Amino acid sequence: MGLHKLSGFPKNRMGKILGYDNDSLKMPNKIIEMGLLPETSFRILYQAPFKGPMYVEFGEEKSRIALREEEGNFIIVEELN
Amino acid sequence: MQGNHKKQVLLVGNPNVGKSTVFNALCNKKQKTGNYAGVTVASHSGYYMYQNEEVEVVDLPGSYSIYPSSEDEAIFSKFVMDNQKDYAGVIYILEALSLKRGLLLFQQIQDLGIPMILVVNQIDQAERRGISIDIQKFSEALGIKIIQTNAKEQIGIEEIKEAVLQNDFVKTSVQSFETPAEHKDFIQKVASHKGIDNEYKAWLGLSLGTDLERISSVVEQINEPDSKSLVPKRLQVQETVRRYQHIDKILSDVISKKPQFKELLTEKLDKILVHKFWGYIVFMMILLIIFQSVFFLAEYPMNWIDDFFAWLSAFTGEHLPQGPLNSLISNGIVPGIGGIVIFAPQIGILLYFLYLLEDSGYMARVVFLMDRILRPFGLNGKSIVPLVSGTACAIPAVISTRNIENVKERLLTILVTPFMTCSARLPVYSIIIGLIISDGTFLGIKYKALVLMGMYLLGFVVALFSAAILNKFIKNKGKTYLVMDLPTYKKPLFGYDFKMVLGKVWDFITGAGKIIFIVSIIIWFLSYFGPKQKPDQFVATNVELDHSYLAKMGKGIEPVIAPLGYDWKMGVGILTSFVAREVFVGTMSTLYSLEDDAPEVKVIDKMRRDVKPDGEKVFSFATGISVLLFYAFAMQCVSTLAVVYRETKSWKWTAFQVVMMTGLAYFVSMFAYQILK
Repeated sequence: MGLHKLSGFPKNRMGKILGYDNDSLKMPNKIIEMGLLPETSFRILYQAPFKGPMYVEFGEEKSRIALREEEGNFIIVEELN
Repeated sequence: MQGNHKKQVLLVGNPNVGKSTVFNALCNKKQKTGNYAGVTVASHSGYYMYQNEEVEVVDLPGSYSIYPSSEDEAIFSKFVMDNQKDYAGVIYILEALSLKRGLLLFQQIQDLGIPMILVVNQIDQAERRGISIDIQKFSEALGIKIIQTNAKEQIGIEEIKEAVLQNDFVKTSVQSFETPAEHKDFIQKVASHKGIDNEYKAWLGLSLGTDLERISSVVEQINEPDSKSLVPKRLQVQETVRRYQHIDKILSDVISKKPQFKELLTEKLDKILVHKFWGYIVFMMILLIIFQSVFFLAEYPMNWIDDFFAWLSAFTGEHLPQGPLNSLISNGIVPGIGGIVIFAPQIGILLYFLYLLEDSGYMARVVFLMDRILRPFGLNGKSIVPLVSGTACAIPAVISTRNIENVKERLLTILVTPFMTCSARLPVYSIIIGLIISDGTFLGIKYKALVLMGMYLLGFVVALFSAAILNKFIKNKGKTYLVMDLPTYKKPLFGYDFKMVLGKVWDFITGAGKIIFIVSIIIWFLSYFGPKQKPDQFVATNVELDHSYLAKMGKGIEPVIAPLGYDWKMGVGILTSFVAREVFVGTMSTLYSLEDDAPEVKVIDKMRRDVKPDGEKVFSFATGISVLLFYAFAMQCVSTLAVVYRETKSWKWTAFQVVMMTGLAYFVSMFAYQILK
C-alpha cells in the first residue's frame, strides 16, 4: 500500500513523488529538469482521451506539466492524505 | 571584430517567461525580425539606443537547462558557450511564478562564469497568487542585483537599459554547484590538464558528453580508474538534483505564502480548454473561426486591391506607348503582381491568428490534446504546431519543429509539413477553382468554398498518411517522449504580433513580386524572339507566340505533361512554379497577355476561352482538378527546400522530399485526369 507509479494514480488526489524507476537510464532527463523531483507534491488534473498525456500540477509553485503515461511509469509516487 | 562598437547582450530564460515581451519593450523601435538566415542564430536580434550607446539584443530560444534535449535548446547552449567573447553579458529573465525552474538554468550560466543581469518579471502575478518574494534576501542569496519588471506595462525596462549601460553584469566567483566529491579529484585533473580555470566548465565537458573522446586520452594519462562510471546522463541527473536541493534552500528563505491560493485564470480556462470533449470542440471552433475570417473578413481588402490593380493595369495600358512592351507591363506584370498582393490580407489574417494563439499559451494545450491522436502516425503532439502553421507558410513551420526532441518525429514532421496548404497555393487554387467550378451552392455554402475547404483537408490528410507510411521505413533513433510545460495563459501581444505580421506579409509580397517580375521579363523575351524564319536572320523577332522560343521549349516538355492534361503554356507555368508556387499566376498572366489580339479582355476570361488544337477547352474540369492536385502535392518551393536542407542537414532527405512529393503529384494528377477526361 502506498507505492504507485504516477501513471494510473487517481485523478484529483494529492500525491508525493518518492523517486524514480530509472535503473536503465531511459528516463528523459527533462522530467527532472522540469522540477518533478523527489518530495514534490502533485495532483493529476486531466488526462487526454485514449490514455493520452496527463496534465499534472506540482510543487509549491503549482507548475503545470504534460507528460505521457510512458514517462509517468518512471516516477514512483505515494498518496498523500 | 569588425570595428563596430555595438554592445551585444543575450536575452536568456525558460520558454514562456515573457522573454519576447521584454525583448519587445527593449527594442521597440528597431527590430530585425524574421531573421531565418543564420544557422547559429535561430532567433532574431533587435537594437536600441540608450545614452548614445547602441545595444544589440539577441533573443535566444528559451531553454530549461544547459543540457539540450532538442534542436532549439542545442542552438541556445552552443550560442551561449561558444560566443562568450562577443557578448557583454546575459540578461536572464525569471518569471515570478516559476522561480524554481528558472533558477536551474540561471545558476548553470552563472557557474560558467558568464556575466549576468537578473530580471524578475511579473511579480504582480505572483502577488495575486498570494506569493510574496523578499527581493532583498533573494538578491543576497544569489549574489546578484535583481531588476523587477512588468514588461507589459514597460515597468523596469529603463532600469535594464541603465544596468546594461553601466555594465552592471555580475560574474560570481563562488560556484553554486559543487562538483560531487567522488568526481572532484578527477575533474580537477581534467581542468588543469586542459588549462581550464573554471571547474564547472571541466565538468560540462564530461556531463555533456562532447568532450568524452577528447578526454579519453587525458583519462589514460592521468590514470583515472573511475572514468568508466562517468556516464554523461547520470552526471546530468546528479547535477540537476543537487542544484534543485540548493535552490529549494534559497527559495524557502525568500518566498512566503499566504495560506489562501487564488485560482488563476489559467486554472479556470483549462477546465474547458483541455477537457476531453469540450477541449476538442473549442479547438475545432477556433480553426473554423480562423478560416472563416481568412475567407470572409479578407474579402473587403481583397476587393480594394483588385480594383486598384485593375485601375493600374488600365492606366499603364493607356499611358505607355502602344506595343508589345505595353502589353507586357499592363497585362502581364501588373496583373501578375496584383495576383499576389491580393492574397496579402488572407495571409496576414492567418498569420496574425497563429501568432496570437502561440503567444497566449494555448498552443501547448493543443499539443496536449493532439499528442495521442498524432502518435499512430509517427508524429508527436508537438507536430501539430508546424502542421497548423504550415497553412500559412512551410518555412517558419519547418523551423518550428526544432522543439521536437525525438529526431525521427522531427524528421517526419519536416517531411510532411509542406503537404499542408500554404498560402502560396491560395492564388493558384483560386484561379483554377474560379475556372472550373460553377457558382452554385450546397446547403448555402458556395461550391467554390467547399472545394477550397476540401483542398485544405486533402493537404492535412495526405500529410498524416504519408507520415504513417514513412514511419514504417525510417528507423527510430532515441526515445520518444512528451514532457512539456503548460504555461499560464497570457494576454497576447496584439501590437507586437501585428507588426510581425506586417513585416512577414511585406516580405512575402516583395519576395514574390521580385520573382514574378523577373520571370515575367524572361518569359516575355523568350516569347518575343523565336528561331530564325529566314536564312539571313540571326533570330526572328516579334514572332507569333506559337513560333517563339518559349513555345519551342514548352512544347519540348509537352510529352511529359500531356498525360496530366496540360498544354505547353501550363507546362511553362508549372516549371516556373518550382521557384515558388504563386509564380504560376504571374506566368499565366504574362503568357495570356502576350496574345494581345484583345487586350481589353481579362486574363482569366482568356484562360477560360482558350482551346487546344482539337477544340477541347484548355482548362477543362479534368485538367483543372489535375492542376489542383499537382499543386497540392508537388514540392515547388525553393525557399522551403533550402530550409529543409538546413534543418535536416541532409541532401538525402531533401532530395527524397522533392522526389516523393513531386512524384506523388505527378501520378495522382495523371490518374485523376485520365479518369475524368
